Amino acid sequence: MRIQRLQTRIIVFFVALLTLVQVAAFVFVNAANSKNARSKVEEELHVGQRVFARLLEQNADKLKQSARVLAADFAFREAIATHDGGTIASVLSNHGERIGADAMLFVDLEGKVVSDTLRPDAVADGKPRAFEYPALLTPSRDAASASMEVLDGRAFQLVAVPVLAPLPIGWVVMGFAVDDAVAKDLRQLTELEVSFALHQPSHREPWSVLASTLDTGQQRSLLTHLPADPAASARLDMDIAGAEHQALVIPLDDNGSARIVAVLHRSLAGALAAFERLRFTLIVLALLSLALSIVGSVAVARNITRPLESLAVSAARIEQGDYSAPVAVQRADEIGVLASSLNHMRSGIADREKHILKLAYDDPLTNLANRSRFANELEAAITQATRGDGRLSMLMMDLDRFKYVNDTLGHSVGDHVLREVSARLESTVKQAECIARLGGDEFAILVRHSDGDLADLARAIIKSLEQPILFEGQPLDVGTSIGIAHFPEHGRDAQTLVRNADIAMYAAKRDKTGFATYDPHYDTSQQEHLSLLGELRRAVEHNELRLYYQPKVSLHTSNISAVEALIRWEHPQRGLVPPVQFIPFAEHTGYIKLLTRWVLQEAVRQCGEWLRDGLRLQVSVNISARDLMNRELPDQVSALLSEHQVPAALLCLEITESGFMEDPAHAQKVLDRLFDLGVKLSIDDYGTGYSSLSYIMRLPVQELKIDRSFIQRMATDEELSTIVRSTIDLGHNLGLKVVAEGVEDQAAWNLLRSLGCDDAQGYFMSKPLDARMLAMWIRANDGLFTGKAGKQATG
Amino acid sequence: MRLRIACLLAGAGFALAPVRAADLVAEIRDSLGNLVADAVIYAEPVGAAAPPPRSDARATIDQVNKEFVPRVSVVRAGTQVSFPNSDNIRHSIYSFSPAKTFTTKLYSGREAAPILFDKTGLVVLGCNIHDKMVAWVLIVDTPWYASSGTDGLATIRGIPAGEYRVTATAPSVGLKGYSVPLKLDAAAARQTFVLEAGS
Repeated sequence: MRIQRLQTRIIVFFVALLTLVQVAAFVFVNAANSKNARSKVEEELHVGQRVFARLLEQNADKLKQSARVLAADFAFREAIATHDGGTIASVLSNHGERIGADAMLFVDLEGKVVSDTLRPDAVADGKPRAFEYPALLTPSRDAASASMEVLDGRAFQLVAVPVLAPLPIGWVVMGFAVDDAVAKDLRQLTELEVSFALHQPSHREPWSVLASTLDTGQQRSLLTHLPADPAASARLDMDIAGAEHQALVIPLDDNGSARIVAVLHRSLAGALAAFERLRFTLIVLALLSLALSIVGSVAVARNITRPLESLAVSAARIEQGDYSAPVAVQRADEIGVLASSLNHMRSGIADREKHILKLAYDDPLTNLANRSRFANELEAAITQATRGDGRLSMLMMDLDRFKYVNDTLGHSVGDHVLREVSARLESTVKQAECIARLGGDEFAILVRHSDGDLADLARAIIKSLEQPILFEGQPLDVGTSIGIAHFPEHGRDAQTLVRNADIAMYAAKRDKTGFATYDPHYDTSQQEHLSLLGELRRAVEHNELRLYYQPKVSLHTSNISAVEALIRWEHPQRGLVPPVQFIPFAEHTGYIKLLTRWVLQEAVRQCGEWLRDGLRLQVSVNISARDLMNRELPDQVSALLSEHQVPAALLCLEITESGFMEDPAHAQKVLDRLFDLGVKLSIDDYGTGYSSLSYIMRLPVQELKIDRSFIQRMATDEELSTIVRSTIDLGHNLGLKVVAEGVEDQAAWNLLRSLGCDDAQGYFMSKPLDARMLAMWIRANDGLFTGKAGKQATG
Repeated sequence: MRLRIACLLAGAGFALAPVRAADLVAEIRDSLGNLVADAVIYAEPVGAAAPPPRSDARATIDQVNKEFVPRVSVVRAGTQVSFPNSDNIRHSIYSFSPAKTFTTKLYSGREAAPILFDKTGLVVLGCNIHDKMVAWVLIVDTPWYASSGTDGLATIRGIPAGEYRVTATAPSVGLKGYSVPLKLDAAAARQTFVLEAGS
């Protein structure tokens, strides 16, 4: 089991450590004491052994002395010398009692027992019996020998002394019983338990006790511990009737088949008693200190964990983003330092979060909200408005010609413009919840609780931007298009609302109305455009695109020497799709480059084909502003011309004013190279832009096409007809051929001819035709078109 | 110290038996070949009675410096042996030997009456006070005996010719005696005894 809590871990650690130390101490003390007790007992045993040996020796000496004195007694000797059995027995018995001997024997010089007080019957039968321990019988007159022997199953200290008459005539052997009383005496002197045991190897149970200080039960226990070899001294640990004893086994004299050993032993209990008291004290101390250590470690652990818990609570608060409450731990120790660090961390995180939020939600350039903040604000506003019954609106706007400013004058100017626009927005839009720059020149404004009509606000914004922005004294003219969407009618969620505002903005831009409020109609056309754009890719791959050609008819000669190539899309489901539905979006996405390439290729190819058929026609192709940014365009054109063996003069590229005004320097370079190739260049839709004529004069163009809006209304508008006339004059003065577009009736045709316009193009002559039909039409009308006939011809 | 045995009967023997007499020299050795002092030899006539002992036969065993002098004596049965005490301390002589058992009271000087050794045999004498004092008295029934000196030679002088059983023994040094038959004539005879240990 893993212990998770620090407090528990500290307590467990301390208690375990203390327990370990105490157990170790206890074990060591126990071992040391036990060892001490044992060695003390052992020492006592050895002392006891020495005392015992000395006692036995002294006893033997004393007995020898007594025996010697007895043997020297004249009356005793005299009685012995009588050789009279009865007398000898009585004197032995008499003198034995005198010195306290328990057995008295007289043994003659041959070693035969003459008389025996212990076993008188054994002698009485008259058959001499040999004395059992002949080694005791030394022939010397002065000798006296003693040993421990067994007589009649009992232990005796035997002493033999010769009887002198005056020569030795035999030995008197005196026996002193070694019985329990002797053992007890020895115990008193040695302070050891004393036992005498007999080892008789021939017996089934070789050991028996002769005399002992032990009771019979203990004696039985003792016997089980005695060693197999009685001749060797041994040091034994014995268990005597449940008590531990240390013992010494001392072999005594060996005079035959049996051997007597003395066993000295002592219980460890006495020596261990002191230790038992010590052990009890130790256990009590251990339990006390254990209890104290538990109390102490609980206190220590709490002292540590309480502030840690408080720190954890604080950290959890910080984790949840609550930076308000400081960590409330006031201490001078490491935890205090940690708390203080946590406090610093808390304020640091709070500061950084503020900073990060600013970075995340503010536009650093304008200090307006950024897209993310706006999205959040919008979501919040929608949530609130949904809950209540509120309304809100958003405005989406971008700047006209901002890209032109940014690209031609540099980003610093662009940034200046953006900052200025921001400032004007902020001063103009007071009721806004949020003004944001979504990126680039795109701005969004969130207005809550609006009355549903933000036209005034939009107009105010447009008005605020009419005043040119000054950069280093130079006025910069930026316009804007604004899309407006209302919640909830134009979208119930932020995404939809933003998209619809965007759609409205594009509509405003397209319709040049300045601002527009979202209309579902926009959405469908927009959707259509978008899906068309997706299908446009397929169109190129599946060859669904066609080129139609509209002839340009000379107003002077009615000759037809030029056509304008116009793209048509034969959609498999929609049928013919007009260019206005996909060209602007192709321009917007950059897909126009591919379209232009395709148109160029097809136009040049067709031009070459006509040329080989003997029809020499100049083909005009519309080039977008993006195409003019394409440096490779001149090379591509050159390659196409040579591939289809078409003279450069038969290709005319039509460019709008805005087309080259986006990046005039770059456009100029591309146009110059095209001009060098010999390709003709034409200004298309002239009169709709704001370009200065002086600028156009620098371009290598040969043709000027007057925008259809002038031509279609000039018959009824005097002012317009004046503009057309002066334009024609201007073009002619600049050496340009002037072409009128959108000629739809005889009146226009006649007027243009009277004004000296060079070529006319329009439905009055012919609608755009495919290549085959156009060839037929030209053959029928070339040089013959006068209006009426042409009308019939086109019928 | 030289041992002296007075034999007052020697001349009488020759008078009673007008046969020629000679000396018998016995050389006594132990089994290792050493010459044995204080050995005793005596010759008993075979087929003829020994001359009767004299009724006033006397012998003396003195006590000098807590020793019996001589340590080994040979006497004819019926001899009165007196035990003068030359020491200035008292002695109490006893014998537990079957040939003659007796005890004297403590005495000094010449107080003790002579003791008649009337049976043949070996008597070991001791002093009841001084355990170390030992003397051997061999009581024989023949006038022809002698003890050996340190040269190991014992000489019986003037022994008439005839047949004898000659016995040699040395109880004081623990050698066992034995007898040999010997035919003596007028010429001096020499006999060697080798004694075995024993009592």
